[in-house]
Amino acid sequence: MRRRVLLGSLPAAAAYSVLSPLALPRAARAQAATKTTVGLLRLASSAPVFIAQEKGYFREAGLDVELKIFTAAAQVPNAVVSGDAEFGVTGLTAGFYNLSGRGGPVIIAAQSRDEKGFQLSAIMATRAAYDAGLRSAADLRGKRIANTTAGSTFHYMIGRLAQAKNFPLSSVTLVNLQTLPNMASAFKGGQVDAMIVPATVARPIEAEGAGRIIGWVGDEAPWQLGALFTAPRMIAEKRPTVERFVRAYVRACGEYHAAFNQRDAAGNATKGPGYDALLGIVAKAMQQPPERVAGSLAYIDPQGRLDVGDVHNQVRLWQSLGLVAANVNPASTIDLGFVQGHFNLPR
Amino acid sequence: MAEPPRGERAVPFRGHGFVLARRRFAAPLFFFGMIALWQVACDRGWISPLFLPSPYAVLLAFRELIEAGTLARHLGESLFRMGLGWLFGTIAGLFVGFLMGIFSLSRAIGQPVVSALFPIPKIALLPLLILWLGIGEASKVTTIVLGVFFPTAIATYSAIDNVPRNLIRMAQSFGLPWNAVLRKIVLPGALPGILAGFRISVSIALLLLTAAEMVGAEYGIGAFILTAGNLMLTDQLLAGVVMLSALGLGFGTLLARLERWLLRWR
Repeated sequence: MRRRVLLGSLPAAAAYSVLSPLALPRAARAQAATKTTVGLLRLASSAPVFIAQEKGYFREAGLDVELKIFTAAAQVPNAVVSGDAEFGVTGLTAGFYNLSGRGGPVIIAAQSRDEKGFQLSAIMATRAAYDAGLRSAADLRGKRIANTTAGSTFHYMIGRLAQAKNFPLSSVTLVNLQTLPNMASAFKGGQVDAMIVPATVARPIEAEGAGRIIGWVGDEAPWQLGALFTAPRMIAEKRPTVERFVRAYVRACGEYHAAFNQRDAAGNATKGPGYDALLGIVAKAMQQPPERVAGSLAYIDPQGRLDVGDVHNQVRLWQSLGLVAANVNPASTIDLGFVQGHFNLPR
Repeated sequence: MAEPPRGERAVPFRGHGFVLARRRFAAPLFFFGMIALWQVACDRGWISPLFLPSPYAVLLAFRELIEAGTLARHLGESLFRMGLGWLFGTIAGLFVGFLMGIFSLSRAIGQPVVSALFPIPKIALLPLLILWLGIGEASKVTTIVLGVFFPTAIATYSAIDNVPRNLIRMAQSFGLPWNAVLRKIVLPGALPGILAGFRISVSIALLLLTAAEMVGAEYGIGAFILTAGNLMLTDQLLAGVVMLSALGLGFGTLLARLERWLLRWR
């Protein structure tokens, strides 16, 4: 895996050394590259890491990065705590904040977020519920909604929608089903009224006619879905490594955003510069056909900036539900010092 | 060297045949020692609370559960699912196991079917079970029924296979009717094997509780463990695991009693 990634980035590195007058010092630095590891899932939201690796941005920053692929979001912060990975990128859950509150990982930059006009997380109503009047996010009040687990990103989105549409979260019945396939099954079988799922899951179900997409979380209640994080001891002991990692990561975020997050005047998606080449890199890393990857490309901030206010809101919502310990301070779960221009900072 | 007088040497009894003596205090002492060591390791900071909570923290999680009044509810719902699932699975397993043990045709059909279906992971079937049975108690109990059925069927027909053939032949040559052979020779002879199968199937039922409660369960030990795991609340997670262990121990003791009573003829 690692060898393939290194070989794949050789042409890019070679091109650089021809074009760039800085080739020599850069090559010299690459030889003494600092080894580090990053834990992530094979999802499109991990794309900046794939891009930074494949295009050699990490190596230009003097890092020899090993990608550690995990299969569930909850494993990534665990790996950062256990030291199996020095960095992690994945969705934010109540479990993450519980770990963070006990001296676990600290957020240092943004990953994907649900943003107005970007179709990432779909709100779906079953056909029966749709016919009975479930037509928009506000109608979710009092409904049965499928969820993976308590404290999941899906759980938070339901909570966010309740906040945005002004209905009590306690009015909905959450049905915890652990996995997306279980959720889809319960949805198709009419065991629940609604669910929130990634667009890649929602579209085939809508095409089958089992339900309708009645809205997008990005339009109704934008929020910070994922983040890049590291262990506090990394920040204390290897600050230069963290800084260089974030720099390379954010550089890839910018390229990702320029290629994938462009909209024309009418608000429709258009291909930005380098679209096809970047899509190829991401698809190869995800081991998926490019057409399928294209439908799952989330909004990623071009400068890795966080919606800080939403992170605080996440912690407070979990605390109000008793899922995160009351003594966790939202501010201490983020280190604002690695990226400039974080927005929506609480007063 | 003085030779012992011929014919008067006391011969020590050597035919113990690996008889297991009861050592009443060994297990509690071992458990106590392990837990004490664990607490000391946590207190001294050898183990970070991030990795493993101390036994005291687990105890506090228990107290929280009791104070919130949810412990009984978790236990009750789980025991209900497990009891029902184990009962149906065992009845079906015994029935099919007996058929396979006694009739050649049932064996010929049953053995490949059991071999083909036993290794299917029940968790992989959950999406299907949800479609067929919904997300109520039916799908949860069925998960446990499926898990209990196969080992019981296998244990039952293997136990019948292991009934000494010469006993059966002797009964037959004495002209005992078929059902008397079954009742007086086959059934008692197969009982130890069947009871050993129960021990395994009870453990499997406990094991599958977590899988069964993956689907839409608000209460139950499995659901509690899953939630604690997802929230990284390791003290609660271990409190749930301790509950499962305690149940396993309880059922094990109960079955040992049952075994001693049913097999008192040995």
